[in-house]
Amino acid sequence: MADGGVGRAGAMKELVEVWRYREVLWNLVRRNLKVRYKNSILGFFWSLLNPLMQIGVWWLVFKVILGNEQRDYTAQLITGFLPWLFFSQTVLDSTACVTQEMALVKKAYFPRTILPLSALISNLIHLGFAFIVAAALFVIWRLDVNIHFLLVIPATLLAAVFAYGLSAMLAAWSVFYADVKFIVGNLLGLWFFLTPVLYPLHLVLRKEVATPDNWLEVAIHWALPAIKSIYLLDPVAIAILGYRSGLLGGGQNPILVTPRPSETEQMAALVQAQLRAQYPIATYVLGAVLIAVVAAMVGHLIFRRMSHLFAERG
Amino acid sequence: MQDLWKQYRRPHQRVGTLKEALIALLRGETGYEEFWALRSVSFSVDPGEAVAVVGPNGSGKSTLLALMARVLTPSQGTIQVEGRVCPMLELGTGFHPDLSGRENVFLNASLLGLNHRRTQERYQQIVEFAELGEFMDSPVKTYSSGMVVRLGFSVAVHLDPDILLIDEVLAVGDEHFQHKSFDRLMQFKQQGKTVFVVSHDLSSVQRLCPRAIWLDHGRMVMDSGSEQVIRKYRAAVEEQERAGEARAHHARSL
Repeated sequence: MADGGVGRAGAMKELVEVWRYREVLWNLVRRNLKVRYKNSILGFFWSLLNPLMQIGVWWLVFKVILGNEQRDYTAQLITGFLPWLFFSQTVLDSTACVTQEMALVKKAYFPRTILPLSALISNLIHLGFAFIVAAALFVIWRLDVNIHFLLVIPATLLAAVFAYGLSAMLAAWSVFYADVKFIVGNLLGLWFFLTPVLYPLHLVLRKEVATPDNWLEVAIHWALPAIKSIYLLDPVAIAILGYRSGLLGGGQNPILVTPRPSETEQMAALVQAQLRAQYPIATYVLGAVLIAVVAAMVGHLIFRRMSHLFAERG
Repeated sequence: MQDLWKQYRRPHQRVGTLKEALIALLRGETGYEEFWALRSVSFSVDPGEAVAVVGPNGSGKSTLLALMARVLTPSQGTIQVEGRVCPMLELGTGFHPDLSGRENVFLNASLLGLNHRRTQERYQQIVEFAELGEFMDSPVKTYSSGMVVRLGFSVAVHLDPDILLIDEVLAVGDEHFQHKSFDRLMQFKQQGKTVFVVSHDLSSVQRLCPRAIWLDHGRMVMDSGSEQVIRKYRAAVEEQERAGEARAHHARSL
């Protein structure tokens, strides 16, 4: 009864079950949206103001104080931050989603998958609102956005699938171990710097340890190619690159090299061509998609196997 | 319901953090002692029946209701429930404290498979029955416990579930509301719906339910007409009390 069975038939049955309870899902989504900004005067505007303010801080630090020379740095920040915020907030919300709804879980049956799904959908809606602000800014800055902006759709989908996998797994674990939510908070803080939100991708891809002279540098030097590959296989990084490419790069290959102070334009172009050959973007996108799908399936299975224990252990 | 078993792993000590779990694992402790809340309970209930579940505290009554609500899953055995089961009614119902009464009504309705429109149609009735008119837009956490139970009860009986599970809420609410809810349950029964009541208020249970199941330590002691079951149950309790008194007396005289 609790076990939907494995394989395609089981998955179908689960989908039907979620669909039967869709009204619960909508109610929970509506609730999430309402509760987040409960007791705040500006209410929903916070989902627009929050990212704007964060971006304002970075703009002040990196552009004004540190004098970053990148072109359209603020636009780069926005395009990177939107998918990151969506991803991290979904994971964060979902981690708590089952424990927060214990009152409901203990009293009524409904397919438990609805809980992480509701966190995911609420954050998709927040993302949609944040997009409105981004669009307004792009118009003000007269940025030339063309039809390639549609790339944000598959990019968002990629981030969503990956987020769901992690969410489901973490939501289930955090019912049993309160530590999970603290660990998740800290790991997301680290992860943020492992994605190209604040800095351009080529900074990572061009990183080299020229003359390694202590053991740590030797180790880094040795592991660097693997680190770069893993960096590029991260579905979140790929989603961010998708946003950048779609909104700012006209759908171009996101591996873009801007010249270092010591370099000429030609030298930079040469490096760029080299990097593009070395890191075939299509392969990495495919890899990231695969990782996201596998994460979603594994996360979902873990969640499902543990979900019948939620009511008695929570 | 066929040969139903429910096992809880009762934690020795709540393993709440990873560190504790790891330490326990290293020491080779499972951290649990096994404990059966229900042992081989079997029965079947026809639509339109009202069944009382009686027994001392810790006998597995609430576990039984939770299994029927599909909140818990059986460790062994199967349970087959046909029809829509209302979220369990007990003190502190499945309401979200931060949401208003109104929003909770819609959330609970959706758990029963009612869409927005159909809930809207019944909304007025629900509010009137619960007598909560002006409070419906305040968050539930501001309600008194009587108000919560009134709303929970009203939602449950108005959303047209096929099966109603009631855990110890009959005694809550003032005299007036108790009468009202009692009448409503009678009416509900006449419509061919199934009602399960867990209560220590034996006399009102007996009036409502023709049938009773007596559980003790997870085992089914008796399943029969409620008058008979309750008489025997009362006799057993009295006997136990006498035995306890005798022991106490004996201890004092030593």
